Amino acid sequence: MQTHDKPQLKAEARNLNFYYGEAKALKNINMPIYDKKVTALIGPSGCGKSTYLRSFNRMHDLYPGNRYEGEIRFYPDNTNLLSPEVDPIEVRMRVGMVFQKPNPFPKTIYENVAYGLRVRGESNKRILDEKVEQALRGAAIWEEVKDRLQDLAPNLSGGQQQRLCIARALATDPELLLFDEPTSALDPIATGAIEELVHELKKRVTILIVTHNMQQAARVSDYTAYMYLGEMIEFGKTDEIFIKPNDKRTEDYITGRMG
Amino acid sequence: MQPMTTEQIRVLIARGKLKDTVFQALGIICLAIGLLVIFLLVGDMLMRGLDRLNLEFFTEFASRRASQSGILSAWVGTLLVMLVTAAAAVPLGVAAGIYLEEYAKRNWITDIIEINITNLAAVPSIVYGLLALGIFVYTFGFGQSILSAGLTLALLILPIVIVATREAIRAIPSMIREGSMAVGATRWQTCRYHIIPYAMPGILTGVIIGLARAIGETAPIITIGALTFIAFLPPVPFTATGMDGASAGLFDWVMSPFTVMPIQIFNWTSRPDPAFEVNAAAAGFVLMGMVLSMNAVAIWLRYRMRKNIKW
Amino acid sequence: MPDSLHVSSQFDEDLARLRTHVLQMGGLVETQISSAIDAYSTGEVASVKSIIETDRKVNDLEKAIDDDCAHIIAKRQPTASDLRLVLGISKIVTDLERAGDEAKKIAKGVRRIYEAGHMPTQYGVGIRHLAEAALTMVRQALDAFARLDGKLALSVIRADEDVDVEFKSIIRQLITHMMEDPRTITTSIDIISISRAIERIGDHAKNISEQVVFVVEGRDIRHDKEAIK
Repeated sequence: MQTHDKPQLKAEARNLNFYYGEAKALKNINMPIYDKKVTALIGPSGCGKSTYLRSFNRMHDLYPGNRYEGEIRFYPDNTNLLSPEVDPIEVRMRVGMVFQKPNPFPKTIYENVAYGLRVRGESNKRILDEKVEQALRGAAIWEEVKDRLQDLAPNLSGGQQQRLCIARALATDPELLLFDEPTSALDPIATGAIEELVHELKKRVTILIVTHNMQQAARVSDYTAYMYLGEMIEFGKTDEIFIKPNDKRTEDYITGRMG
Repeated sequence: MQPMTTEQIRVLIARGKLKDTVFQALGIICLAIGLLVIFLLVGDMLMRGLDRLNLEFFTEFASRRASQSGILSAWVGTLLVMLVTAAAAVPLGVAAGIYLEEYAKRNWITDIIEINITNLAAVPSIVYGLLALGIFVYTFGFGQSILSAGLTLALLILPIVIVATREAIRAIPSMIREGSMAVGATRWQTCRYHIIPYAMPGILTGVIIGLARAIGETAPIITIGALTFIAFLPPVPFTATGMDGASAGLFDWVMSPFTVMPIQIFNWTSRPDPAFEVNAAAAGFVLMGMVLSMNAVAIWLRYRMRKNIKW
Repeated sequence: MPDSLHVSSQFDEDLARLRTHVLQMGGLVETQISSAIDAYSTGEVASVKSIIETDRKVNDLEKAIDDDCAHIIAKRQPTASDLRLVLGISKIVTDLERAGDEAKKIAKGVRRIYEAGHMPTQYGVGIRHLAEAALTMVRQALDAFARLDGKLALSVIRADEDVDVEFKSIIRQLITHMMEDPRTITTSIDIISISRAIERIGDHAKNISEQVVFVVEGRDIRHDKEAIK
């Protein structure tokens, strides 16, 4: 097995706890996220992997009663994403997200992608056009939609919608891209296209992906973290986790045994 | 348990289907009763009032003689009152609905506000009339004007608009909201670009249902002192009025005395001369027509706007 | 190695059947080797035929097991210990099959020697000892696989060195003999090839044990002298 230099850190969870009201959903998580790598979060339903993912863009701030403890350090500027002094909107401008079910806005394809730029106050048509094309190309959907940018986005197929949502996230050049089970609503071919895209994207952006599909984690990720009951059980290189996990709970989960 | 034979399965299905048929028939009967009553009412009004349904009926003021009476001041008054009502209730109701759904923190204060809004919808309309008499007519000094009437009815339908707005907003999947917030939008940007446009069909439906209720209200309008007999129209903006020949301002009409359709109908039905009853029936038919066409507009608008919104 | 069951009991059955087949194949190869040794000591050339026939069964099992491995990979996408087990088995059967081939070679060599009438009495003890050592290695390697015992597998790997040393000393003896008495050359060459085959059987047992260590511990210790200490 060849050895790599240790990659740079993009983010790092430090003693992260999270509460939904009284219920503790994340328990003292410590985990690195390496720059320009794909990190997969796996674990059974309700293990907290989505909760953990949604901490990175402060999605929990949208709902009352949620509380963070600990830090998520974001590099290179060493900002604590969870600090009350950091505006969640600032965090979301740096950290993009793609959801489980494709959620394009009921607007045109063009407006869907341009939205992030409009939110940032960009109204120059030339710049918008250019950025929209760039983002659509980046999400490998440009060729399919370039002649119908003014069509309504919900008329696209599921796989196209999801790539459009990726384009929407890419348009604003995020530093970290969160994927929350991005292919669970897609057929195998569309899934393959998204996985291929994730592989392309990691040249430009750091990716954190939650998936129920272990084979997908094995296929797309460089690092894998196994979570169970709100705890980080094991983190390591994907190659190692899938051939020789260190923890019996990881082993039982990835080999499909009852816990 | 023994597995059933095909014969038994068929008997079972037949029994189940019999119940289906019975319920279907019952449903159709109930529906028919409701529809029949409405058709009878409208048809009865139409037959009795048919004689008076001509152009003059719409262009003449009320008169002492039944055959020369028209509903000009009433339908103009109704339209203008509705205009004021809509202008007041829509921004207030929509803003309140958006605030409650998108901004307000969930705590006991919002809980109380919510209960109150539901209760407001159940307050008898005469109470609104009394309230308006005290506040708009006397305290604010709006007098017995279109403005007072419009604002009163606006209060009356405000809960309907708020509830409709909230329902329409709740029907928007949270994924859309999250999708917007996730690219770094503020709450207001999310409302402005997504929530309001996508909720608009539902809001409009609520507004029109509210207006359709307001258009038929008599009690609060009488309470604040609408006239029952009026032989002039509110001043048209920028036209000469009265003897001094001064031009009317853009909003002078809102302070004008007025009457509305239901009051005109009520007035005619209380006359001893049976000829006025024909007028009342004709006016009632026109009022029905106004309500139905408002509903038609609502349906059309909703259909047009929803066509482009799907998730 | 997790002892708990898979959510899919079908998967458990597939893996259990795979392991049973490997052990069955191992049993056949053991019999081949011990029969060949017996034939060498006793001169019972008749058993040579049955050794050759057993080899056909071993070959069929090898193909069947490889096929099962391919099916499990295609259908179950095994990971971690399951993946290592399937990968390990597909290599183990190759070594088992080759060990069986070596037994066949021994048997044929024995037949040649006895048919030519040259009794190899003076080497009986040395060869027998070497063969017993190699057979023990095979047995223990199979035991280590059956019990998924990494320690036992490591001891088998270490034992291979002794077999190699013994093999070399037998070869040296034979060379001396051939130089002293050139008439023994024909027989000696047959004996060299027999002992060579025995030594190879030891190597296969070592390879099998290396795979057992990979299956159990996830370490690849091939060509790694440090790892077996």
